[in-house]
Amino acid sequence: MAVTAPSAPAGPDASRWTGLSYAYAALVIAGFGYALVDLPVQVSDSYGNLVKASSGTLGGLVAGEFHQAGYLRPFLWGQLRVVMDLSGGRYYEWFRAWHVGQLALLTLLFVHIVRPRRWAEAMALPVGLAALVGMHTFAGTIREAFPINTFMTVLLCCLAAADLALGPTRWWRDVAGAVLSIAAALTVESGLLVPVIFVAARIAGARGLSGWGIATQFALVAGYFVLRFLVLHVGSPQLQERSSGFGFAMLDPADLIARFGGNPLPFYAYNVGSSLLSVFLSEPRGGLWVATRTLMAGTWSSPATLNLVASLLASSLVVRYAWVRRREWWTRRTDRGDQIVLVFLAVTLANAVISYAYTKDVILSPAGVFFALALTVSVAHLLETARGGRPFGAAVAGVLLLALSTAWGGRVVGSYLGLRHSAAVMRQEWGYIDQLLARESNADTSAVAVRLKRQLQDDAVRRHPVRPALRGDWVEWFQE
Amino acid sequence: MSGRWRGWGLGVAASAPLVAVTVASLAFAARELAGDTPSSWGAMQNVAEAAAMGQSSEILRLLRDGQDPRRVWPVRPEIISSTITRVTALEAAVWSRRGQEMELFDREGAIPDAALRHELACLAADILAQEVVAYLSPGKTPECEAGATMARVLARPGS
Repeated sequence: MAVTAPSAPAGPDASRWTGLSYAYAALVIAGFGYALVDLPVQVSDSYGNLVKASSGTLGGLVAGEFHQAGYLRPFLWGQLRVVMDLSGGRYYEWFRAWHVGQLALLTLLFVHIVRPRRWAEAMALPVGLAALVGMHTFAGTIREAFPINTFMTVLLCCLAAADLALGPTRWWRDVAGAVLSIAAALTVESGLLVPVIFVAARIAGARGLSGWGIATQFALVAGYFVLRFLVLHVGSPQLQERSSGFGFAMLDPADLIARFGGNPLPFYAYNVGSSLLSVFLSEPRGGLWVATRTLMAGTWSSPATLNLVASLLASSLVVRYAWVRRREWWTRRTDRGDQIVLVFLAVTLANAVISYAYTKDVILSPAGVFFALALTVSVAHLLETARGGRPFGAAVAGVLLLALSTAWGGRVVGSYLGLRHSAAVMRQEWGYIDQLLARESNADTSAVAVRLKRQLQDDAVRRHPVRPALRGDWVEWFQE
Repeated sequence: MSGRWRGWGLGVAASAPLVAVTVASLAFAARELAGDTPSSWGAMQNVAEAAAMGQSSEILRLLRDGQDPRRVWPVRPEIISSTITRVTALEAAVWSRRGQEMELFDREGAIPDAALRHELACLAADILAQEVVAYLSPGKTPECEAGATMARVLARPGS
C-alpha cells in the first residue's frame, strides 16, 4: 500500500501559527454568526415540518420515516424533534443557536483538518475559509432554516469523517466512522458521501481507519441499499417530482418526461457533468447556465463575473497543485495535503454522480467544502514555492494571490448580503402567512398548527424584527 | 528581496483583502448593535413607510403595536417620491402596487367600509396600480373622477 510521506516538520513557532489561525476562524464565525441569528424559522419546508414533528412520540416519528416513498431521512426528523423538545417552546433561540453552533463547529473542523502549523498554511487559511463560506454551494446551508439545515449536518459529518480518516490509526476511529456513516446516510441521501471520504482517504494513503474499518464502511453502504430498496422499498425520487435546469431553461416535470421519459440517461449524464463544472467554475447553477445566458444577452452581471473569476483562479491553483505533485501521487508517496486534495477529487466525483437525477447548488455542498480545503492546501503550496523561487515567479504569484483573495473577498461580501436578504424574504413570508394558508386547500388548521403559526410569526415579525435593508451601488456589485 | 520579506509580501497578498472583509463585517455588526444603521435608510419609522416599501412583516408588527393605518403619517421623500410625503398606510400600500399587501391590511381590518375601499381603488386607478385596483374593485373598473384622489393626497399640508 501507499507510504505516507511525513509533512515537512513544523518550526518552533508552530503553536503561534495554529493559535493565529483559530483566532481568525473565531472572527469569521462571529461575523457570520451575527448574520445567522437574524434568520427566522422559515415558512417553506419548515413550518409544516415543525407541525408534523410536534405530533406523536419521537420514536413514532423516526419509525414512520423509514416508510416514506422516495426519501429515507429518519434522523433528520429525529434531530428536529429533539431540538424542538429541548427548546421548551423557545424555537427561535434554540434553532438559531443550533445553526450558529453548527457553523462554528464546521469552521473549527475545517481549521483542524488544515492543521496550520507553518507560515504558509496560516496565510492560506483566510482564502480557504473565504471559499468555505463564499462558495455558491454553501449558500443553501446557511440561508435556509428548515429549521435545522440538514445539508449543514451532512457537511459536519463529512468534515468529521475527513478528520477521522486523516489521523493516525486507532480502533475507536473505526467505530466512530461507522456511527458517522449510519447517522449521515439516514439524515439525507448525500450522507452517503461519508463512506466515500473514508475509502478515498484510504486509497490516498491516509490510515485513520484500519482495513477492518474500511471493510465495515463497504458493508454499511451495501446494507443501506438493501434496507432502502429491498426491505423498505423506499425507492428514489422520480423525474416527475421537480423542475430542473437544462441548458438555458428550467424544464418542468412534464417537459422532462416529454424529452427524457423514454431514456433518461442523457439527462442524468447532463446533471453529472453540470455538477462537476459547477464545483470548479460556479457555472452552471442547478443545471442552468445563468451567467452564460446573461453574457450572451449582452448584459453584464458583476456577481456572476466575480464568481466565475474567483472559481477560475482557485481551480487553476488546485490544478497546478495536482500537476506539481503528480509524481508523488503516482508513486503513492502522498502527504496530508495530497490526501486532502485527492479526497476532494473523489468527493466531487461522487457528489456529482449522486446528483444524477436532480442537481442544485446545495446538494453539491460537500464537494464545495472539500474544494475549499483543496484550495487552502494549494495556496499554501504556492506560497511556500514562491517564497523560495525566483523573484519574477514570486511577483507573478503575488499578483495571482492578490486577485484570488480579492475575488473571494467579494464572494464573502455577497454571502453576507445573501443572508441578510434571505432573512428579509423569510419575514415577508411570515407577513403573508395567513394569505398563503388561506389559498392552500389542505392547510393544517388544527389547534397545534395554529398555535405554532402564531408563535413563529410573532418570533419573526415582532420579537426579532427585520433589520434595515442595505442600500447603495456596492450592494448590487456583490449580491446575486 | 530577502526570502523573509518576500514571504511577508506573498502572505499579505493572499490574506489581506480577506482579513479586511472579515474586520469590516465585524465593524458593521458592532455599529448596527450600537444602534447605527450604516448603508441603509434605517428602520421604517411608521406603518406608512413600511407599506410604501412593501415590508409585510413590518406592516404587521406596527399594526399590532397599535399604529393607525388610516392616519396620515410623514414619509421620507426617498421612499415614495419627493412630492408624496404625507400619506396614510393604506395610501402608501397603493404605491407599493401589490394587491397582496392591500389584502394584508384588509385582513387586519384596516378597510372597514365601502367608501374607503372605493377611494383607495380610485387612487390606485390614478397611479395605474392595476393589481391593487383588481383587488379593491374585482371584476369592474371603479367609477372615479380621474386624478381627483391623487390631487387630494398632493394637496395635504406638508406635502
